[in-house]
Amino acid sequence: MKKTATSSPISRRTMLRSSGALAATTAVLAACSSTKPSVARIGMSPTTVKLEDLAVTDVILLRTAMSMETMAAAMLSDSAVTALATKDSASVIAAFATDHTSHLQDLRVLISARNGEAYSETNTKLMEAYGQNALDLVASGKLPADTLALTLAVETLIAATYQYFVSLTAEPALRADMVRLGGRSSRRAAVAAQLINGGTAGFAPATDAAGAPLVATLPGAFGSLSAVQVQLGPVNDTGTRATVLMDTPSLNSLIY
Amino acid sequence: MDTHQVESPDMSMTTRRRLIASLLAGGAVVAAAPLFAGHASAAENTAPPHRDAADNDALDACLERESRMVATYRIAVAGLTGDDLAAMTLILDHHVAYAQALKGYLAVEAHKPSNAPLASPAGSLSSIARQLATLEDQTATIHTNAIGTIKGLDAATLLASIVTVEARHAAALELIAGSSPIAAVGN
Repeated sequence: MKKTATSSPISRRTMLRSSGALAATTAVLAACSSTKPSVARIGMSPTTVKLEDLAVTDVILLRTAMSMETMAAAMLSDSAVTALATKDSASVIAAFATDHTSHLQDLRVLISARNGEAYSETNTKLMEAYGQNALDLVASGKLPADTLALTLAVETLIAATYQYFVSLTAEPALRADMVRLGGRSSRRAAVAAQLINGGTAGFAPATDAAGAPLVATLPGAFGSLSAVQVQLGPVNDTGTRATVLMDTPSLNSLIY
Repeated sequence: MDTHQVESPDMSMTTRRRLIASLLAGGAVVAAAPLFAGHASAAENTAPPHRDAADNDALDACLERESRMVATYRIAVAGLTGDDLAAMTLILDHHVAYAQALKGYLAVEAHKPSNAPLASPAGSLSSIARQLATLEDQTATIHTNAIGTIKGLDAATLLASIVTVEARHAAALELIAGSSPIAAVGN
């Protein structure tokens, strides 16, 4: 008796059936792809709108840097600061504010060289997030020491911003320009720290007799990118002061 | 008893089967393409490299500079005491950390750096601070210029974090040397 010759375990019919099922399944899956939420919900819920994909270009970083420099100049020359600053520190803080304004011209040149458009406003999101709050606390606290504390925080923030932007900048030559601008803020931060806690004793992190941390001119070996913390304003009922956290710009606060 | 061969494994049948399967598979890919379209467009953006072997020479030069700064600070701290000694030792430790970080980054590509001091700071604290402030400035400039030439993002980021603090070193030392706050900023 001859054996029935089915040459392959997969017959043509099986192959067609399987492939057809695969194509149908794929078509159904493709048809199901939608921007609408796929999870069933009870009641009203807002439809999630996907944010537009925007590339972070060098020009965007420069425009954001302009917004940060403008914000720094505005904060350091705000009446809340100038009215409280001591005679010795007032001229230094005013000079720092002027420096930030002068950096705008440097940034404007870098932007125009890349066919970008300069940005002359403060960073609205960050001003709302912590800038205005910091100024309000300085004004309500009426403590002259807060003016230098705010100055140190602002300069540290600007230096950290440029340092962070290096990791996002595509053009190597522009990274160097970012570091040069950041270095100037770093120097101003060191001077502000020394005006608060001067001499070589103020270089390293330390605490006072009560265990409270003192301002250090050199808080770490490498530049930090974590949020800058500063205590400002009046002492509250619990004996503490408000701590303001200042973050470097991120995707939701870049100037596109 | 004779049985009929249902399918003969001849070449033409195999080819037709493969053709049908290929067509169906191709159709499935085309149908599924919209599902992956978003991911594909995201991959089109070109990003700078994280590392580039061409950067090694510039990074080696930065490593050498840091090694020589370490040697210079070892001389500077020799005659200091108290807070002054603690402060200068802190900066010395920073430069040790920079040299180690650069050596770690370069790994086997690192050349043995020179340990020759850049100067022999001596005298009063202000005199020592003045000399060291100048060297800090020069070191920050060397690193900044290196950042402008290297392509790798990781190395640029590392150097940027070093320059940020070296700028602080320079300004703080300027103040200790007796400069005014405005002058110490570098204006």
